[in-house]
Amino acid sequence: MLIVLLFIAGTFIPPHDVVQTFANQLSPTTAKVILFFRFSDLYHSSLFYILMTLLSLNLIICSINRLPALWKQYKTPHFPEPAGIFDNLPQSRIITVGKEISKIKPIVESCLKKKYGHISKIDERRGYFFYAQRGRFSLFGVYIVHLSILIMVAGAIIGSIFGLEADINIKEGESVNVANLTKGNGLYKLDFSVRCDKFVVEFYEDGTPKTYRSDLSFIKNGQVERRGTLLVNHPLTFDEFRFYQSTYGLAPEIKAIVTYTNAGKKGGSMTLAAGDTFDLPESKARGFVLRVEENIMHIGPAIKLKIVSQKKDIQFWVFQQLDQIIAMNPSLLTKMPMFNPGLFQPLVFSINRIEQTYYTGLHLVRDPGVPLVALGGLLMVAGLIVVFFIQYQRLWVFVEQEDAKISISIAGRSNRNNQQLQKKIDYLCKRINEEINA
Amino acid sequence: MNHTLILSWVTFVYFASFVLYLFRLITGKEFWGRAASFLAWAGLIAQTIALILRWEISYDLGMGHVPLANLYESMVFFAWAIILIYLIIEWRTKSKIIGVFVVPIAFLAMAYASIAPDISNRIEPLIPALQSNWLTSHVVTCFMGYAAFTVAFGCGLIYLLKNKEKGNVEKPSDFLGKLPALATLDTLIYQSISLGFIFLTIGIMTGSIWAHYAWGSYWSWDPKETWSLITWLVYAILLHSRYIRGWRGKRMAILAIIGFACVLFTYLGVNYLPGLHSYLRA
Repeated sequence: MLIVLLFIAGTFIPPHDVVQTFANQLSPTTAKVILFFRFSDLYHSSLFYILMTLLSLNLIICSINRLPALWKQYKTPHFPEPAGIFDNLPQSRIITVGKEISKIKPIVESCLKKKYGHISKIDERRGYFFYAQRGRFSLFGVYIVHLSILIMVAGAIIGSIFGLEADINIKEGESVNVANLTKGNGLYKLDFSVRCDKFVVEFYEDGTPKTYRSDLSFIKNGQVERRGTLLVNHPLTFDEFRFYQSTYGLAPEIKAIVTYTNAGKKGGSMTLAAGDTFDLPESKARGFVLRVEENIMHIGPAIKLKIVSQKKDIQFWVFQQLDQIIAMNPSLLTKMPMFNPGLFQPLVFSINRIEQTYYTGLHLVRDPGVPLVALGGLLMVAGLIVVFFIQYQRLWVFVEQEDAKISISIAGRSNRNNQQLQKKIDYLCKRINEEINA
Repeated sequence: MNHTLILSWVTFVYFASFVLYLFRLITGKEFWGRAASFLAWAGLIAQTIALILRWEISYDLGMGHVPLANLYESMVFFAWAIILIYLIIEWRTKSKIIGVFVVPIAFLAMAYASIAPDISNRIEPLIPALQSNWLTSHVVTCFMGYAAFTVAFGCGLIYLLKNKEKGNVEKPSDFLGKLPALATLDTLIYQSISLGFIFLTIGIMTGSIWAHYAWGSYWSWDPKETWSLITWLVYAILLHSRYIRGWRGKRMAILAIIGFACVLFTYLGVNYLPGLHSYLRA
């Protein structure tokens, strides 16, 4: 027994301490320690796995060690009753005078049966004994709880071995089929690709974010197999992976919506990013986008273009707010011809607006251990309810005749709450009394 | 009527109730006990109304969420749960003594929530991560658990206080003679801890399920998760030492107090560590 106790103490203390030190290491003052130990890996360190295995082993050993004693308790014969159980029972004793014991016996029996179902009885020289019990299976409630812990540990181990976690950032309008593994720096190639059709972020009036939403399409073998809207708290599942909205941001690349006029007439409109090229069929020329700036030198958006034609090779800037710049500096275009958006005659370029694209950050997870962990969780709640709310109650009733006096004594044993048992005994006494007097 | 006004009145009602429980303990007159219980019930009802009002107002403001979303709201709910669980136990055990140690904790929670400068009592909109139906079940079960552990802590304190004087047969103090019997306290500690343990277990599980949907992992070793596990383990040790070693009385009382310290750290201390539960930071 002592060994078992030591085992149990040993079972709980080491993981507890480890967890505690781990938690302490997470405090901001010990940031260096965090970096040194790579705290996110601590819970996946071999030390931690060994401790988990030890915990499970101890749980199994303790359970097995205790099993014979528990089985004996489970299989305890109903008779004889525990010694001395009927001594000192003034409240739980009914004494009647002038009644037939043969009439009293069935009354006691039917009262017990009504309350407890199956009962067993025995006739002795001393008198008649009845036995009833309830909640015997609750002796094994603890085993349900321990089993549930083992199942959860198993689920966690399966998850960490066969599971996968990765992140993908997808720009609006683009599709990606390679994810960055969350642990380590590896890449994982998906056998489908994900396209972000649209990303929306909404804010409350006070600036707190309200919604992050990604409209996604899952493309397999060149076909859109599924479309869906991904929100925080509402993951999407596709092909054994679950997708979570985890982050978002602005793509480093910005785009300019550029229009141009051809000798005063409307020319065309293009969406351009740095590095793009475009054709200008009117002038038999080709344009290159050298730079796209959101706000250059605090004078607003600008792009730098290079236009190559048969005759010449020109570079110039196009400012969105050219009118204001000229108003401040009227001689700008003569001094700096490069700032003239109409340098490549007869075309005049202008920026309609600058667009920034969002990217959505998705977290994807494959965890085959989840069903086991969920099962373990359910079992644990069930087991705890059995342990705390169902008790093993045993009741003995002893009917004895001394001359004209018949005494009925009720006594019981419970593995938990004796107050509740006493209430039951009192109730039973009352019922039997009523039935006898009726 | 403004719900914050009701809540500040409730704070004083709880304080008054505590004072009356103290009167009851010192004078031994049942009248004070009845008055104290009456005030506690009145406070609970008023607080319930205030919480419902706050809930309704959040809908009027176009946010529409249960009042369980920031530190202030959780503090108020903590006080509410403590009083609720305490009053249920008082009703079932017919003992009004524990109130002296439990009701002031509810009062302190309320007072801290309204006085502490870094706690805002504004109704704030829910960030996307909190917009989930699991919010209610997770927070309610966790705080019911915390409240049950608080009651156990109160009983543990009384136990130690009474136990200290027990050896002192020469001058049996009147004051401590009025405290409930040690055996009753021991049972109360055990019962409230079993209740709290079930609530905490379910609270951790609902949290896990929620995390599974929100963060993609049912367990992330976030400091709050880790500490709730530590708290769970402390109470598991307590229950095991009772079942296996047959520990009773003083040791249980001490473990109940240690457990409560863990609860407090899980609830408040963890907010100073970086982690995923950061929205509780004031």
